[in-house]
This record gives sequence, C-alpha cells and structure tokens, in this order.
Amino acid sequence: MRPALIALVTSVRKETRIILRDREAFLLLFLMPFVFVLVMSLALQGSFREHSQGARAKLLVINHDDGAIGEKLAEQFRSARHFTTEIRTEQVAPEELEAEVRLGHYKFAIIIPPKTTEQAVKRVAQQLDATVAQVTQQPIAIGLLADPAVHADQRALMMTTLNRALQEVETGILLKQVGEAGKRLVRARQLFPEIPAVRAPDALHTFAEVKDPPYDVTTGLRPPTSVQQGAPSWIVLGMFLLVIPLSVTFIRERQLGTLQRLHSLGVSPWVVMAGKIIPYLVINQIQFGLILLEGMYVLPWLGGDALTLGHTPGALIVVSLATSATAIGFAFLIAVMARTTEQAHVFAPASILILAAIGGVMVPKFVMPVIMQQIAAVSPLSWALEALLDVLVRAGGLREAAPEIGGLLLFAGCCFAVVIVRFRRYFRA
Amino acid sequence: MCRRGPIIRDASGADKGRVPAAGEQTCYHRQRHPLHFHRFVHSPLIVEIEGLCKTYPGAERRAVDEVDLRIARGRIFGLLGPNGAGKTTLLSMLCGLLRPSGGRMRIDGVETAATTAAMRRRIGLVPQDLALHPSLTAHENLEYFGGVQGLGGGALAKRVAECLAIAGLEGLANRRVETYSGGLKRRLNLVIALIHEPDLLVLDEPTVGIDPQSRRFIHEQLRRLNAAGMTIIYTSHYMEEVEALCDELAIIDHGRIIAQGTVTEVLNRLASSLIQLRLAGGLSAALESELRALPGVTDLQADGHAVRIESDDPLLTLSRVLECVRGRGERVTSASLGAVNLEQVYIALTGASLRDGS
Repeated sequence: MRPALIALVTSVRKETRIILRDREAFLLLFLMPFVFVLVMSLALQGSFREHSQGARAKLLVINHDDGAIGEKLAEQFRSARHFTTEIRTEQVAPEELEAEVRLGHYKFAIIIPPKTTEQAVKRVAQQLDATVAQVTQQPIAIGLLADPAVHADQRALMMTTLNRALQEVETGILLKQVGEAGKRLVRARQLFPEIPAVRAPDALHTFAEVKDPPYDVTTGLRPPTSVQQGAPSWIVLGMFLLVIPLSVTFIRERQLGTLQRLHSLGVSPWVVMAGKIIPYLVINQIQFGLILLEGMYVLPWLGGDALTLGHTPGALIVVSLATSATAIGFAFLIAVMARTTEQAHVFAPASILILAAIGGVMVPKFVMPVIMQQIAAVSPLSWALEALLDVLVRAGGLREAAPEIGGLLLFAGCCFAVVIVRFRRYFRA
Repeated sequence: MCRRGPIIRDASGADKGRVPAAGEQTCYHRQRHPLHFHRFVHSPLIVEIEGLCKTYPGAERRAVDEVDLRIARGRIFGLLGPNGAGKTTLLSMLCGLLRPSGGRMRIDGVETAATTAAMRRRIGLVPQDLALHPSLTAHENLEYFGGVQGLGGGALAKRVAECLAIAGLEGLANRRVETYSGGLKRRLNLVIALIHEPDLLVLDEPTVGIDPQSRRFIHEQLRRLNAAGMTIIYTSHYMEEVEALCDELAIIDHGRIIAQGTVTEVLNRLASSLIQLRLAGGLSAALESELRALPGVTDLQADGHAVRIESDDPLLTLSRVLECVRGRGERVTSASLGAVNLEQVYIALTGASLRDGS
C-alpha cells in the first residue's frame, strides 16, 4: 500500500475507533435521532397544531371569472389575516400551476373558473323559479391545490375558509334574487292575484363543496401523512447533531497536543482532515439510512404511518451527502473557532438548536410570522429540510432540490475555506 | 560511519544542504519513511543555530533573542530556564512547529529557514503535555502515530513491539490509555516519539508529575537510546536530573542564552565567581545597598538569611563584604566561595524572583 494511503487509512481507523468508544457521542448520533423520529411522528400523527397569530400562508387566486363573484372571493382572501394573497387573472397552464404549488412557491392555489358569476346567478334563478321543472345548471366547482408539505390542519383551515366564503357569496346572490323576485311578485299579484308563491328550495348547492385537495393532481396520490411531513425535520436535526462530537473531539485533540505532535512529525493536514471527514460522513449516511428504515418499517409496526421514499430515492443520496458536507463543514468551523471544549460544548448544540428553530425544523415555517419566515432563509438546516421535503413530500427529484443542494454545498465550501486557512496557518506556524 | 541503514549514492540529488566541511561526510540515506530519498550532510553537529529570533505578533519583546546554539551528535543536551524564558519557543522552532522571525538553523548540516516536513521526520518530539489518545490502547496509539507517517505492515508491527519494549508496556499494550497511571502515560508519551526512529529526540519536561521510580526508568531508557547513538535535547526544572543526565547544557532567560557548556564548565564558571554568605540577622535594605555598591560586586541575590554575590574578583570582594557586614554590626554565620550545585548556578544566573511565565 502507498504510504499516503496507509496514512489516510490509519487516520480513518483511529477516528472510527474513537467514535465507537465514545458512548455519549454514539448515543447522540444514533439513539437520539431514532427516538426523536419515533416519538415525534407518533405523537403528532393526526394532531392539529396551534397556529401562531402572525402565520400567513402564501395563496394564489386565479380568477378567470369576469363577474362580481370572482372579485368578491378574491377580495375576501386578500383581506383574510391567515393568507398573503396574490391574484392573477391571466390564463395559467394547469401543469404549470400544479408545479408552482407542488414545489412550495405557494401553499395554496384557488382557481375560480370562467363565467362563475353568470352560472351561479343562473343556477340560483332556476332554483327559485317555480315554473322551471328541473334545474339544469350544474354546481360550480371551485378548484383548490395545496403544497404537499402543508399540514392537514392548515388544509382544513383553508377548506373551511373557502367553503364559508362560497356560502356567503351564495347567500348574497340568493338574497338579491329573492328580493327582486319579491318585488316582481307584489307588482304581479296586484294585477293577477292567482299567481303562485315563489318556490323555496331545500338547498341551493350553487357551488360544489371544496374537498381536501389531492396531493398530486396528475397521479392522484393521497395527501402526505404526518410521518412523511415530520420525518425530514428530524432527519436534518439528527444529521446535524454530529457537529457536537466532531467539533469537541477536534478541540480535545488540539488541547491534548496530539495535533501538534502530528504537525511535529510532518503529517499532512489533509490526512488529518480526511481522517476525520470520512468516518463522520459514513456515520451520517448510516444515520440517514437508519432513520429512513425506521420510518418505513418500525413506525408502521408501532401503529404509525409508513414513510415512503418519494419518486426519486436516488436524489435522497445526493441530498444526504450535501447535508453531511454542510454539517461536517460547520463542525470544523466551530472546532477552529472555539478555544476550548467547553466553548464547543455550549456553542455547538446551541447553534444547532437556533438554526433548527429558525429553519423550520422545530416549528413548520408556514406557521411562523412573516419576518421569521424571511429569517429562516439564512439557516442551512432550512435548506436541508426543503431539499428533503422536495424529494420525500413534493414528489420532486434532483432538479427540484438543486437550489437547496447548491446552497448547502456553497455553505460547506465556505466553512471548509475558513477551516483550511486556519488549519494551514496552524500547520505552517 | 553512518548509523542509518544502507547508503544509496545518488549523484543527481538536488543540493539542499551546505558544502560539507573538512572531516564531514556526505551521505545519501534511504529514509525510513519510504516516501522520500533525502540527502543530508552527516555533520558532527546535529543542531547549529545562529542568531535565531522569534517575535510573536503584538509582543513587545522577542521571545527568543539572537540565540546561538551548537549541539554535537550523540550528546544529551540540557536546556534550562525559568517559565517564560523562551525554552518551548526555541524547541518549537527546532521541531518545525513555529517559524523563526530571523536567524539560521541547520539540522544535521542541512540549512533550513524553517524545519521542513522531511526534516521533522528525523526529529522525535516528546511534548510536555500527554499527547496521546486516551480512548485508544498503547498499541493502537503507537500504530496510529506510525501509520500516519506511512509506516505499515511488518515494519510498523516490528517498531510498535520495539517501542512497547522500550517503555516496558508489553503486558499493558492492549489496555486503554485512560486507565494508565501518570508514569505509564509518560512512558508511552516518550516512546511515541521514537516510533519513526528519529536521529534527534527532543524532550520537553518529560518527567513532570511522576514518581521517582518512573523517572529513573525514563532516565535509564534515555541513556540507552543515547548509547545507541541518539542525540537528546532535554528540558526540565529538576536541576539534579539535568546535572546527572546531560553532557552539556544551556541556560536561557529572557530569550537569550546566558550560559552554555558542559555541566562541569557551567558549574566552574560560577564556582569561580560566586560568594555565598549566611547572615544571622538577615539582609537589611541599608546593608544590601552598601554591598551592591562595593567594587567587584556584579550581582546580589538574597533569600532569607542566605546571600549570593557574584563578583569579578571573588577573593578580594569577599574580604570587602565581610568588612562591610561587620561594620554594620551584622554577624556572618557562614561564608563560602564557588557554586555547590547546578540549582545554585541556575538561581544565581536567572534570579530568585518568581516568574509568571508570560
């Protein structure tokens, strides 16, 4: 074997031995994420969460109606405090619209079909007209699409809001028509007292009831389960937990003087770094695989919903590697910046928790206030989470997750650049 | 004759060293490290340092200031100095851990601005800290520090076994280091520096905090290694250790070498210039200033009742001192000329006041 390879293999073997013998680190890396996924997925299954007052979901209203109903509906959603509403009147291809929602650009899209006002008025009039034998005008179907990553409670809130809005519109039309009919009836009875009364319909059903939007319009898959939606968060958190043992071991070695000893022996800093990166990268991938297997097999066995791997499981490998690279880069960054293990012990978990919290790992981003949603964009944990959601929940692949993967790799690159500068300075003295 | 392995003559080797002086031999060794063929001059001096300086960024004064040092091959060289004197900085530059701010260094005849990676492999550093992996066994630690230098297979296994034998750790080789006593850890710390068979072994206070038995064991092993041809640089605060172990020594203070030579030379140097007194009533401020003003007195140190005076002409100065003390009505209980041991020399040269190590 070539000496450089011997050096690398030796370095990797030593790091692996140290990790495997560090019981606390082992528990942190494997047991905590495992228990996290199990507990959180089972606990949150089918539950509804409290919504923060400031939470606003991004809503797109496609108004193809040229009458009062479309305008009124759009206006109602524009003034609703739960939504940030964008209204479009131009034609949008259904596939394009579906992709925009599926990729999370909008949490919901409401499609008001053309001639809604005309048809609604006609249907109410037919129902009120006692001379009409059969109502020929069909109920109007208002379309609703939802981002697959939106939780069930948010979807329910949306459906309730929409159905209530439609009822209000329907009531408005009815009252107007009944009023007009009443006036006409009074005038007519003065001339023809034998005219019959207006028919009172049992139910108008001007609009078809809006149901839970399908997960995927083209494939007709059912909405994602809480496991499917929750697992990416805990996977990301679990993977980033390696920042703690990696940064602490590195600083400990610096304090013990073993790094200085390696330096005095002329060992390449690349061997030292690669010796740490490789085992932690492998551990991270094992962690990732175990959490997926847990979601697929252990959770259903305990009565929970099963995790599915989406349409492109291969993309998961790339997302996982990019997440690992970021976590390892961040760990190294802490290791070269912190002076003592105590500093790393405090800073590493605190920074992970903060980045997780603002990145939507602890609390979904769509229930955060707008300002927090904007802040979330700076967290690498948020990018990792969105990349996983793209693949696991939004049925996307590498192309859809590419922006987040790019962000993760860029962040990892920046971390490693700082680390290499500091490390080379240390090794060059 | 060269001590190391077969000699490979290589006329095309790049000349990185100096032209050998008369009596020196140019050798081309195949390094133990299989990556490199490294040319060096087999100089009688393994370390030659001239005008070496180090100033840390932002520091007001130099940590190492114009140091000249020559260490002959096959010697045990002691480096003494109080905390913050510049010992560790000097050793760090020698081992390639720090870049000098100025001056020249030659390691085994090869001139180098800063010690290169290839040169470092010829030096074994035993740091003052226990630079070991506590969760690994002694065997695994040795295997690791050998392996990262490219040693593998049978050669590594052989060296690991040899090092374990030197440290007397054969029976404990598979126990985790965290379960070892302080003495065992020190022994392992020593032999890790030997895994790559260095020519020069640099020890930075290797016996701190261990029992006399372990200290004695380490000294015995160092003598054996030295007898086999290894050059050793040894720093310690235990004067009796340095006195018993080292052939030569240097005392460094405020970044400068203030005494250098064989142990006997250093002792004699001060023995011929030191006056030691014991005063029954101690040294008053008035008497101290009077003594300092006497002709021939170059330095004066007081420690309780003991007074040490350095002088250019000790005999004449002693008579003046005794006259002065008597004139002040003070009683002298004992008086002697010359140093008794290395510690007295050390204290005389570096002073008795505490150092903060900054």
